Amino acid sequence: MSRLVADLPAPTGIQPVRVGRRRRSRQERLAYKILLPALGTVFIIVTIPFVLAVVQSIQAEDGSLVGFRNYARALTNPLFYDALRATGLYALIVLPAEILLGLSFALLVHRTVRRAGLRATLYVLAVLPLVVPPVAVGVVARLIYAPGYGVLNYLLQGAGIAHSEIEWLGVPILAMGSVASVDIWQWTPFVYLVLFAGLQTVPKESVEAAQVDGATWWTQFIYIELHYLRPLFLLILFFRMADVLRVFDHVFILTGGGPGTTTQLLSLYMYRIEFKFFDAGQAAALAVLVLVSISIIYSLVTRALPLERA
Amino acid sequence: MRGNRWRIAIRIGLLVIGLGAAGVLYAFPLYWLVATSLKGKAELYQSITLIPRHPTLESYGSVLFERGFWVLLKNSVITCAATVVITIAIGLLITYPITRLPVPPQLRVGVLNWALSLRFLPPIAVVIPYFAIVRTLQIYDQPIALIGIYSLFNLPFAIWMLKGFLAEIPLELEDAALVDGANRWTSFRRVLLPLATPGLMAAATIVFTFAWSEFLFALILTATPNAQTFPVGVQGLVTQFEIIWNDMAASGVIAMAIPLALMVVARKYMVAGLTFGVIREK
Amino acid sequence: MQRITRREFVKRTAVTSAAFTSLPAFLAACGESTTTSNKPSKLVIAAVQGNEDGPLKKVAPNYKSQTGIDVEIVEFPYDQLFEKLVTTFQANGSSYDLCMMDDPWMPKFGTMGALQPLDSNFGFTRDSDIPTVVYDVGTWPPPHGPVPPSEQAKTQHLYGITIVGNVEMFMYRSDKSSAPTSWDDVLSNAGKYNAPNFYGYVIRGKATNPVSSDSLPILWSFGGNVFDDNWKVQLDSTDSITAVDFLTRKLKKYAEPGAENIDAADRSRLMAIGQAYQSTVWPGEITGIVEDPSVSQVKGKVAYIPIPQGASGKGLGMMGNWLLGIPKGSKNGSAAADFIKWMLKTANMRNYVAQGGIPIRKSILNDASLASANPYFAALAKSFDAVPNWRPRTDQWNAVETIYGTQMNAAVAGQVTPQAAMTKAAADVRTLMKTAGYPS
Repeated sequence: MSRLVADLPAPTGIQPVRVGRRRRSRQERLAYKILLPALGTVFIIVTIPFVLAVVQSIQAEDGSLVGFRNYARALTNPLFYDALRATGLYALIVLPAEILLGLSFALLVHRTVRRAGLRATLYVLAVLPLVVPPVAVGVVARLIYAPGYGVLNYLLQGAGIAHSEIEWLGVPILAMGSVASVDIWQWTPFVYLVLFAGLQTVPKESVEAAQVDGATWWTQFIYIELHYLRPLFLLILFFRMADVLRVFDHVFILTGGGPGTTTQLLSLYMYRIEFKFFDAGQAAALAVLVLVSISIIYSLVTRALPLERA
Repeated sequence: MRGNRWRIAIRIGLLVIGLGAAGVLYAFPLYWLVATSLKGKAELYQSITLIPRHPTLESYGSVLFERGFWVLLKNSVITCAATVVITIAIGLLITYPITRLPVPPQLRVGVLNWALSLRFLPPIAVVIPYFAIVRTLQIYDQPIALIGIYSLFNLPFAIWMLKGFLAEIPLELEDAALVDGANRWTSFRRVLLPLATPGLMAAATIVFTFAWSEFLFALILTATPNAQTFPVGVQGLVTQFEIIWNDMAASGVIAMAIPLALMVVARKYMVAGLTFGVIREK
Repeated sequence: MQRITRREFVKRTAVTSAAFTSLPAFLAACGESTTTSNKPSKLVIAAVQGNEDGPLKKVAPNYKSQTGIDVEIVEFPYDQLFEKLVTTFQANGSSYDLCMMDDPWMPKFGTMGALQPLDSNFGFTRDSDIPTVVYDVGTWPPPHGPVPPSEQAKTQHLYGITIVGNVEMFMYRSDKSSAPTSWDDVLSNAGKYNAPNFYGYVIRGKATNPVSSDSLPILWSFGGNVFDDNWKVQLDSTDSITAVDFLTRKLKKYAEPGAENIDAADRSRLMAIGQAYQSTVWPGEITGIVEDPSVSQVKGKVAYIPIPQGASGKGLGMMGNWLLGIPKGSKNGSAAADFIKWMLKTANMRNYVAQGGIPIRKSILNDASLASANPYFAALAKSFDAVPNWRPRTDQWNAVETIYGTQMNAAVAGQVTPQAAMTKAAADVRTLMKTAGYPS
């Protein structure tokens, strides 16, 4: 099975499996009595929509079964590939930026800030952007990038850097950049927090030994800290990639998918199919495809990588 | 020696520059949001200024009362609170047995993995069939539809957080209570719960903020202020069919204020909770 | 001892779980409203947010004071209102007692059978003071123009009545020049008066509905069209492409930057702050922005005329009425119908106009005493008399508009040539209509 949890040293609060037969079965039975109703309910609630989506995906509008026609329509729709391309581009911009920036800040603060109070304050500050509702962040971004009343153009023109209105939401590349910048703004702190926490687990002894041996900042990073951070990088990569597939709110508010279909990411595309074209069959087919793909990727990833460390 | 001091100076310099830049990049947009919310309607038709010419709270009044968003605020609070209660309760029901009772390790790992996988479901993929269910059950435009789906999506996170906390509490404490003659429920209530409270509060805060921010399901599954939540209202104001940027900004400020306030109030729990004891004060 | 405690524990857990599972039923019961009496305590109207429903919101309290029935107006931005209504109709929901509809949505709702017929169910008849075209636009199947194949057998019924008499018009700075008589005039004037921060022609270029509404009159005046009378796509005809080229190349030269993101309110705002020379305009923007003394700097300097025609006299203005209809799922049909009748009464409509509403009664539009307060009335009356064109009466219009509007938006942004934009739009629309069962 997965090595997801197996690498954990047994925490003191987890019940090991007892040897005594009679006691084990009683306690175990109690466990199942509590667990199964809750777990079972949740499992059913999760599975029903999936089943329903499959059923919807093989139906036409009038309810008759049409086999894989919806899937064919979904996969031959050029807009679908536009959406995939846009999502891929978005991920390509957002992920490296967030990881590099988050890592830099984590290293910088970890190495430089010694006072516990300051570290804790920075920690709380870093959490704040994560809890702001994405729609609100979208509003903020609108007030910055929008043509006519956006403050960014006002500042740039005031500083003499720009001489005419730059269409942040109108030029395709800039629109993608604007939308990506919001994501980076909101999620770099997440990377920072995870990596910062990870840096805490690096044994001070190794670091001190290396420093005594005359290791430079860079060498220290590559050979010691990176080793401890590697699983965290994978965790971050995985989480953020999954989030990129889900991103919707702030893009919806900022550009609505435009200009044209430049920022029409996958979730926005699916929204359009279901609620603009009212093509329930194609939308359900897309939903099934996406759910299956994610499940496959997820099981591959968890099989191959130990995601968690103590 | 001198080289060391030089290096430290560079690092501190970098830190100041970095934090300064970050500070500006994060503070200015928020300032602009608040500043825009304080502008009156007439000012929106004049040229842009960084500081409102005649600051006024009229947009907040307009948003909350004329547009009736206080109802949406109420809906959001009720929906999120209910979600927290249900999520934590079910989370405990699932986490307690697999951490405190002897279940096969495969089951524990399996449940945790399965819970984690839920987190990666794209909401838009789920909402399409869920919408059909909501219609069939006739709970369209009812808060319960949102509470249900929010609980579902927040459960994985709650399970992982709760597992972390419950795992930290030594089994011996509960065993001692059991040996002393208490039953499971009492030992749970008297021994475990108090110790797990910081973790529960942290989990509750996080679940609340996630539910608070949720937008897509609220957009699709509600139709009137009977069930509409605040983010739906915020998005509704982002229309270029009207010059209402001040109202738009005010709604954004309100939407942000609640989770931010919650975070600041609960920061003790957050630092303890989110790190699972990993951040040690140096 | 152990046995009892475990059973006790399980029992308590079961009780707790049961409490939580009955919570949903409890909450659902809290959420449901009971409709027992004939006269409802309130009517819920799904409305479009913007200038269009402002006057409606202002007169709603009058209805309450006269009849005791509360009128709750739930607003949505344009796109979302359409989506919400369709999904509510699909679910046969009772969330809304009345709905505001843009007239191009009529075909979809008519095809879905989503609305209650006003004539047969509630006794609405044609009032001679209201232009015929207003009744026509609310009738399904449409009394003239091509009818979708699946609808040809249906009986005509009235399903919606206009409460916002929107007909697209044209505005220009009359303090600078006289009225343009054709689109060529418009172009030459745009070039003549274009100056830094004073745009010769403001384009409403935002994707889908905005740019579609803005460009269709131009399309028509050049002899182009979306469909011909047999539902054959005409977007890639020579005339259509010429029209698109005219807007996205020639007029664009004198347009504001970022036109591809500009919607109606921004366009009017530019006029109101004195940065625009001319543009198309909807009456709602006039009362809400351009002639609003609290925000406009050009009050009294702007004139309103029906949309200029093509040089050869081709082309018509465009309707964009907002109608009130009664969803089939509404439980308060007769109370809703009473509300519509109330809105149509002349005295109430005068009051509505005083609050900035757009009337449909000819007597009000031609009333000289209201002309100075509402400078666009004359142009609106003339537009109604000229029987403006309406958008193609197909239930696929929303999808067609999305396709056409996306390509137009790309053309306005300069991303594609007019030729490429219209060729792609035409191809996509053809595929769409074919799948929907229209003749190709």
